[in-house]
Amino acid sequence: MQISECMKRNIFSIRRDEPLSKAVRVFSERHIGTLPVVDEAGKLVGLLQLRDLITLVMPDFVKFVEDFDFVTDFGAAEGRRPDPALLVQPVEKHMSPPEAVEATSGLLRASALLHKHDLHDLPVVDADGKLVGIASRVDIGTAFLKGWTISQGGGT
Amino acid sequence: MIAGGVALLIFGATLYVIFTEKLNRTIAAVTGATLMLTCGLALGFYTEEQAMSTVDIRTIGLLLGMMILVALLEPTGFFQYLAVQAARFSKGKPVRLLVLLGSVTTLLSMFLDNVTTVVLIAPVTILISEILGLNPAPLLIAEALLSNTGGIATLVGDPPNVLIASAANLSFNDFLVYALPIVAVAWLTALFLLRYLFRRELAVAPENADAVLHLNPAEALDDWPTARRILIVLGGAILLFFFEKPLGISPAFIAVTASSIALVWVRPDIRKILERIEWSVLAFFVALFVLVGGLEHAGVLSQLAGLIARVSDANPIILGVSLLWLVAGLSAVVDNIPITIALIPVVQSLAHSGLNVTPLWWALAFGAGLGGNGTIIGSTANVVVASLSERTRSPITSMLWNKRGLPVMLATLGVTTILYILAFQFLSR
Repeated sequence: MQISECMKRNIFSIRRDEPLSKAVRVFSERHIGTLPVVDEAGKLVGLLQLRDLITLVMPDFVKFVEDFDFVTDFGAAEGRRPDPALLVQPVEKHMSPPEAVEATSGLLRASALLHKHDLHDLPVVDADGKLVGIASRVDIGTAFLKGWTISQGGGT
Repeated sequence: MIAGGVALLIFGATLYVIFTEKLNRTIAAVTGATLMLTCGLALGFYTEEQAMSTVDIRTIGLLLGMMILVALLEPTGFFQYLAVQAARFSKGKPVRLLVLLGSVTTLLSMFLDNVTTVVLIAPVTILISEILGLNPAPLLIAEALLSNTGGIATLVGDPPNVLIASAANLSFNDFLVYALPIVAVAWLTALFLLRYLFRRELAVAPENADAVLHLNPAEALDDWPTARRILIVLGGAILLFFFEKPLGISPAFIAVTASSIALVWVRPDIRKILERIEWSVLAFFVALFVLVGGLEHAGVLSQLAGLIARVSDANPIILGVSLLWLVAGLSAVVDNIPITIALIPVVQSLAHSGLNVTPLWWALAFGAGLGGNGTIIGSTANVVVASLSERTRSPITSMLWNKRGLPVMLATLGVTTILYILAFQFLSR
């Protein structure tokens, strides 16, 4: 199966020069984890992930203390808000490289890329690098299951 | 004469590369040592046997033994446990937190490597500060400064002390009798000065002071059975340190024995433990020994002794105080280990000229330790807390260190100088 058969075609994306505050709105309104960043021509130029935004309010110690299960009350570290100056910055300052898969690729290649780059969603592009869809781990995973029921169902 | 010139040139060039950080210090020292031996063999002033006998196995053994014990203790969460307990006892009051965390770090670094201590305590300090909504910088700076200072008090507290003790034949108890009282006063001076210098940061009353009471120290201590075993072995080793002279054994022997007992008792994955040993530090020591040995065999040191023989006519107190400040000034800007290794033969050559150098050894120890507080690069502990803080929202800058660390260095040196002069007769014994 090709990735284009299981991807979502109804994609939300953001332009590279738009502010982070817009991305915050899209993430929460659309309830998504990955936002592809595109240029004026619709070409994929980067990825903005939900965790990139969460990092902005994470306490610093998360980077240094491996397990902090001895903390039950995070006190002042809880409920932190990012610096408003950060939210007017363009998304391209916070995006990661534009990892993507070609629409003609198979499922195994797609899942290999997901794991290699530790992504939750994988953008799908055409031959020109234009964004045409996005496939989540669940989209790709369930696509693997297609056709299993007949052979495993007891020989109907 | 040519031999002396060549040896001096190699030694000088190596120190230059180390101090300017043009090359990693271990790579520079190993290259320099190799070059020294090569030229020594070619010019006939240094043989392989001589080079090997310059390596002070007592220093290396003691460092290695203690490093293995720390490497075993590190993953048990014991250090985090102590920091969390300190936070609970502070009840979230910033001044108390500074005193308690500073004391814990100091006590640990009196017996264990203070870089490891700071590496393990600093992250928890950042965590506690963030929970309380405090700026971690004052606490981090205080931990580095207080552990640098406290480490001078014991033979095993600081690598320069290990070197000095081995060269001057000073025992563990000598440090407790002669160094500890003076260091204790210097430490208290540092603490009160820090309290004053950070008075504005420490005046903040955290809104979430209760949050530290909810920290669970038992959860922080991941592996108490292992920690208990290592603490028993460590306690036994420290007890034996007190009796090294009557028993006729060296601290190195005690440390290596303790580490092997601990290894047998804990039976860890040995590869993981060996990965935690700071081989680069040990290699650096070995290389520096070979380098200084080259100088000695090329006759540079005896010439130097002749040159400074005139100095020994000077007032011994002035000589001691000058050495104290000279070493402190140098170790504020460069690593104190090469300074110590380079100055040890100089003091030894003064001893050959008939001078009582015992007070000079103490000046060297105090200067090397206290000088490290002066700048952000003065000691490895400083570098560790500064680089950790760079990844937080309140980085420690070189400027901040000059405003807080430098006054502490000057004040502790001032106090130490006064005590050194007053106790000079005592220190000369």
